[in-house]
Amino acid sequence: MSLSAADFTFVSGLVRREAAIVLGPGKEYLVEARLLPVARQAGVSSVAEFLARVQQRPEPGALSGIVDALTTNETSWFRDREPFAALTESVLPQLVAARAASRRLRVWSAACSSGQEPYGLAITLQQFLPAGWTYEILGSDISHEMIERARTGAYSQIEVNRGLPANLLVHYFERAGAHWRITPTLRRNVSFQRMNLAAPLPVMAPFDLIFLRNVLIYFDVDTKRTVLRNVGKLLRPDGWLFLGAAETTIGVDDSYERVAAGRTSAYRLRTAVPAGIAGKG
Amino acid sequence: MSVDTVPTVEDLTEICDQVWASYLDPEGLNPLLPVGPMAGIGEMFAAVSITGSWHGHVVVTCSANAARQAAAAFLVMEPEEVSGDDVADVLGELANIVGGNVKSMLPSGCFVSLPHVVTNPGASTRFPSAVQICELAGTWLDEPVSISMWQSNGDRAEVRAA
Amino acid sequence: MLAIVVDDSRAMRLILRRIVGQLGFDVIEAGDGKEALDALAGLDDLPQLALVDWNMPNMNGLEFVSAVRADARLREMTLVMVTTESEQSQIVRALAAGAHEYVIKPFTAGAMVEKLALLGLVPSGVTI
Repeated sequence: MSLSAADFTFVSGLVRREAAIVLGPGKEYLVEARLLPVARQAGVSSVAEFLARVQQRPEPGALSGIVDALTTNETSWFRDREPFAALTESVLPQLVAARAASRRLRVWSAACSSGQEPYGLAITLQQFLPAGWTYEILGSDISHEMIERARTGAYSQIEVNRGLPANLLVHYFERAGAHWRITPTLRRNVSFQRMNLAAPLPVMAPFDLIFLRNVLIYFDVDTKRTVLRNVGKLLRPDGWLFLGAAETTIGVDDSYERVAAGRTSAYRLRTAVPAGIAGKG
Repeated sequence: MSVDTVPTVEDLTEICDQVWASYLDPEGLNPLLPVGPMAGIGEMFAAVSITGSWHGHVVVTCSANAARQAAAAFLVMEPEEVSGDDVADVLGELANIVGGNVKSMLPSGCFVSLPHVVTNPGASTRFPSAVQICELAGTWLDEPVSISMWQSNGDRAEVRAA
Repeated sequence: MLAIVVDDSRAMRLILRRIVGQLGFDVIEAGDGKEALDALAGLDDLPQLALVDWNMPNMNGLEFVSAVRADARLREMTLVMVTTESEQSQIVRALAAGAHEYVIKPFTAGAMVEKLALLGLVPSGVTI
């Protein structure tokens, strides 16, 4: 049974928003083939039935499972590039000034998938921070399998080809059989934990920088508000929040304001203490 | 580096999965299905030799039909459009890519030769002074395909003495 | 924009020609480093980009990269190695010799485009 036009529109829209991948007309067979194992794993015998269920009761795990099935091998390092450029050009200099007393940064990659984002953040910090600074990065995701993958820190040849400059590859990865693995030096600063953003979050020390990219799209408006509120409680008053390229807090959560960051935008709590005030670091 | 790091069939599988995902099956609909010893005749093969710190060969063997399908997929052409030269070139490049990736898992100081391609139907693979150490045999588009690694006998004698 | 593709495999040259062609490049081909240098010597307008295999007869990719970087007329070309050589030390050697980027075979079309985007060679809005 082939995919209905409505189902194909639903899936291609989801994948385009989530992963910037375009499934043009004629790719219905691809969607069918890739989603059949996902449907079976959900205990349903057909893709049509699976998609009907998902559209009726969209839940983040099922939606991200669909995106994962259609974007295998497609995850990039330093996705969209501009947020990472914004860190080195604008955000990290401000944080370094603001944390001069503690010389420590805490970062959260809150939808870390197979780990490219938290490890990419680690590379960025490792390169930027002056000597004597320390940093910790937490990667979290709703999927147990993704957390396990990310913890391993091993990537295939074609995965490391994706958006990762070669000089960073040779510096921060080492060969492990047919794979490349993050070096222990970098790995040491990154931890992983399975977390559902829509559920009450564990108690954690607040973060200076949070990446919450391309995950809000999975939630309805009320849940988006819950997630942004929960995440906001874990952001330092002068901390920075980065969302996905097509996402915004505007109209969803008034406690954030959008600010320019490099050539892109980021979000800060409206009660933000101006950067540079000493003693709070 | 000890000889324990010589690639295994799992490593060959990993390498071939990536070759298929990049060139022969980018949409993930027609993977290479591993089925144990190759069922069917290897009518064509492409081999690269490895020399230096390790001596052996990496061989890609398949049916004539599989070779034509591989050339068509690689070059994004219809199977009817590919020439004999296209088939030989693609098979050689596949052996080169697999061989190059295998080499990167061997002790450093190895070199990969240019590929040697045989496309006469009925030819079979023989390396008189070498032994097959692992093979990924399977079916692709219902056609038999095998990727194998061979080690030269001289090497193995040294290893036993060590 | 012009690109030169240097690889002894005709099939691989075709793949690369197709990818950079979709990005708006015209393409010239060469089967080894020496052929590539000869082709470049005869051009008034030089390519912006060279995609270079490593293992080739007559003059390999590393030698070609070194020759280009040592030549005042050629040294502005962006050099991307595209090769099966994936030992860490080999990649370091290539970057030290002057290659700007490095793509390991096998590569997907998307990955190649992303690498070229890192070098500012992809017009914005282009996807494959």
